Amino acid sequence: MGTSPRLPSPMPVAPPALGWATGSGAERSWLSFSMEEDEFFGEKTFQHCCAEFIRHSQQIGDGWEWRTLKDSSEGYMCKTHFQIKPETLMSHSGASACVQTCLPIEEALELPLDDSEVTETTTGSQVIKYEYHVLYSCSYQVPVLYFRASFLDGRPLALKDIWERIHECYKTRLLQEPWDTITQQEHPILGQPFFVLHPCKTDEFMTPVLKNSQKINRSVNYITSWLSVVGPVVGLNLPLSYARAASEDE
Amino acid sequence: MTDDKDVLRDVWFGRIPTCFTLYQDEITEREAEPYYLLLPRVSYLTLVTDKVKKHFQKVMRQEDISEIWFEYEGTPLKWHYPIGLLFDLLASSSALPWNITVHFKSFPEKDLLHCPSKDAIEAHFMSCVKEADALKHKSQVINEMQKKDHKQLWMGLQNDRFDQFWAINRKLMEYPAEENGFRYIPFRIYQKIIKFLCSKGCEKEGALSMLKSYFIF
Repeated sequence: MGTSPRLPSPMPVAPPALGWATGSGAERSWLSFSMEEDEFFGEKTFQHCCAEFIRHSQQIGDGWEWRTLKDSSEGYMCKTHFQIKPETLMSHSGASACVQTCLPIEEALELPLDDSEVTETTTGSQVIKYEYHVLYSCSYQVPVLYFRASFLDGRPLALKDIWERIHECYKTRLLQEPWDTITQQEHPILGQPFFVLHPCKTDEFMTPVLKNSQKINRSVNYITSWLSVVGPVVGLNLPLSYARAASEDE
Repeated sequence: MTDDKDVLRDVWFGRIPTCFTLYQDEITEREAEPYYLLLPRVSYLTLVTDKVKKHFQKVMRQEDISEIWFEYEGTPLKWHYPIGLLFDLLASSSALPWNITVHFKSFPEKDLLHCPSKDAIEAHFMSCVKEADALKHKSQVINEMQKKDHKQLWMGLQNDRFDQFWAINRKLMEYPAEENGFRYIPFRIYQKIIKFLCSKGCEKEGALSMLKSYFIF
């Protein structure tokens, strides 16, 4: 078909700024813990915050773990959990819309059969497996939340199923900003389809949080703060003890 | 950039002659003839195969049709990869035309993203452009553009309009004279096992040695 193209003449470029971790990683306060002066939240800081986060998760049995990419220093944080949903969704007026409709397994098994809120007989419940992955985006220099959900037989949930399970309170906000919506994308490490909350606005809401914590001289774990904001939108809740642990670190 | 106009046109107008054949297990009312098409390298499969879809759906019943997907020698084709990339990665050593199999059943959920509409392709494309600009200009250029400029960029690609596309894209490919280059050069390397690495580039010599390190495996 084609002849091989002429390469464009090389353009002069800016002085080098290597983009991946090679440093010795000496411990410093997390704010300056990055390889480049202009990187506010570099990959090393990300990994450090995740390590602190996972440490607390292990203390309370919250199930988060770190996975490393083979032969590399890159990795991500992940958690799998199962939720039971009654076959029929509660459909009252808006008031009950924000009531938790998903129950962890242990609580669901104790649910009395004549629960007055259920308007039809529950013919069967569905167990849904949720996987949450926290990865670092070197383009945006922020963490990104990837997730997927499937039934126990492996059938994945479609975007509209995921959408239905999001709290009403979050739906309006998500619909307003097209680049804040949940889209299906390829997981950068696994190469499989996952749903993603777009990271381009993360900087916008995290900066005030961090600025304020500096002002009141209280340390925060970036990952803890960030996940407490984006997680609940997709059904991922963080116990409050994470906040206490974060302010105790360093 | 103007010196390279010829190269830009060659890249834009690159085509791959392709033969689409319906998967043998699809249920048809009559024999389905293969469909030939020249695919643009810079575009996306689901954006340019409406005619392919119509052609095969003519010989099928509505109830046997669900989301279309494409496969080459057993590998589901990721529509969100540019066509030229898919071809170079999977079929460049085979004789032309590129033989692609068309499916309307058993969508491979674990391998492929769904493509519910043209909007999904637009969202994906704009997301890539945005991410690249985050590296090149800290997102300043893309964010300062109006919605209609974003739309024009997309329509240029969708309708194969080189000038319409580059009227906007050239702004994304510029940098201030005093700066000597982009903040970072965005690029992706795809290996044969369909795994990619995304990284910030650096200055010319550094970029070359880094690329070399990626090829030593």
